[in-house]
Amino acid sequence: MWNNVLHWVDQPFTSATYLGMLLGGVLTLAITLGAVTYTIYGERKIIGWMQGRVGPNRVGPFGLMQSIADILKLLIKEDIVPAKADKALFMIAPIITYVPAFAVLAVIPYTFHHYFTARLNIGVLYYIALSSISIIGIVLGGWASNNKYAIIGGLRSAAQMISYEIPLALSMLGVVLLSGSLDITRIIEVQQQNGLWNVFPQILGFIVFLIAATAELARAPFDLPEAESELVSGYFTEYSGFRFAFYMLSEYVYLIAMAGLAAALFLGGWTGPFGLGWGWFWYAIKSFLFIFLMFWLRATMPRARVDQLMGFAWKYLIPLAILNLLISAVEKLYWLKG
Amino acid sequence: MNFLGYLITGQFVAFFILALIVIASAILMLNFNKVMYMALAIGGVFVGVAGIFFLLNAEFIGIAQVLIYAGAITILMLFAIMLTHEKDGESNSKGWIHETASFVFVAILLAGLMYGIRTSTINWSPASDEPSAWPVGQNVEAVAASLFQTYTIPFEVVSVLLIVALVGAVVLARKEE
Repeated sequence: MWNNVLHWVDQPFTSATYLGMLLGGVLTLAITLGAVTYTIYGERKIIGWMQGRVGPNRVGPFGLMQSIADILKLLIKEDIVPAKADKALFMIAPIITYVPAFAVLAVIPYTFHHYFTARLNIGVLYYIALSSISIIGIVLGGWASNNKYAIIGGLRSAAQMISYEIPLALSMLGVVLLSGSLDITRIIEVQQQNGLWNVFPQILGFIVFLIAATAELARAPFDLPEAESELVSGYFTEYSGFRFAFYMLSEYVYLIAMAGLAAALFLGGWTGPFGLGWGWFWYAIKSFLFIFLMFWLRATMPRARVDQLMGFAWKYLIPLAILNLLISAVEKLYWLKG
Repeated sequence: MNFLGYLITGQFVAFFILALIVIASAILMLNFNKVMYMALAIGGVFVGVAGIFFLLNAEFIGIAQVLIYAGAITILMLFAIMLTHEKDGESNSKGWIHETASFVFVAILLAGLMYGIRTSTINWSPASDEPSAWPVGQNVEAVAASLFQTYTIPFEVVSVLLIVALVGAVVLARKEE
């Protein structure tokens, strides 16, 4: 029975395997929604702390229920579609953005035991490929809104995400080269065997990864697609209610997924110091470090200028990432023969 | 669980869902009047085909399909449509004679295909136990070996050809200035 529930893919289709599929999906969704809710709360509290404010503190003890109240408000709002908008596309665009955001979580190995996640032999590529589908939803949302700020935001977003995807993928390639596998679980296992996290041999790659990931997530200082001071709020200017919530949700789900990826590729995933157990605990700490860095950047950095953005990716990040690839090859030959 | 003599597995169900996605997106793509909707529908076809590659254990080709076709090419089409002048809503109904004739033709084609498949004497064996040249779970390595060991020189020549095509396109586009 439990075997059928946990390993449903290759089994004949019975009620137990169906239960496994359903449980996996619902559990992952519930954990993700909970994590997103408290990531938003944490972001507001941490940025408040850095800027000498209190942050949300009215709803519930320490304002813990603030995000839940906000989400509830968004869900019961009227679903407004602008009169001049392209109705069908306006309605499905947030879904096209959210589905890949949730799907990429399938390959993030939160624990050593893959109960509800997949050990895919092309995990890294899967993440990159699916996250590029989200851009379609963003561009379509901006176009369907029939609003100049929305379409500028959508086009900027597409240009930025496509450009920064290249250094992001190239910086991961160094790790892939050292581990000899595209499988995220295998990458962690190699780090465990070597007793060395990939941050150290891949420090240049890690820096490129951090910058490209910030831009890919469209977070400050690269939050040009939704630059409040110039574009109102970019591609989702016309959105409200639960469709707006979908866009925000996919943004934060990507933040969590990217944190999981950073922890797996560069920080040794579930491995902890002194061989202690509790893989998920170390994984959570490492992911939180990445998320904290994103909040920190948002609280302290001014926004990059739009004309500097593309040049930075193509002229500096991509050459650096290629140099890192070269360094990785040398390391693979003479140091980490694995 | 058995259905009409077929063992229903997760893969069996997934195949029918994916096939439905591919066929429905293709038909929608042909029937939409707005170019934007067509681009989105063809994106659906690409994603469905990628899913079928996954079912056939060709993960690398499936993910390349998503990365290049569903991601890059669909976005390229969306950009091209957005930046060019769009003529909306030209309806293309061809009258009942045309529609009936095409329906009858398609029905005949389908009947012929079904007849051919049912009476075929070729033995389509389900899955053989022979080790395949593309071992399951290692097809990334297999692709890499054939690209960078067996066919290194053709691969490099093709990449030079692609760069020449790219530069040629840039030169042609800049000639107007």
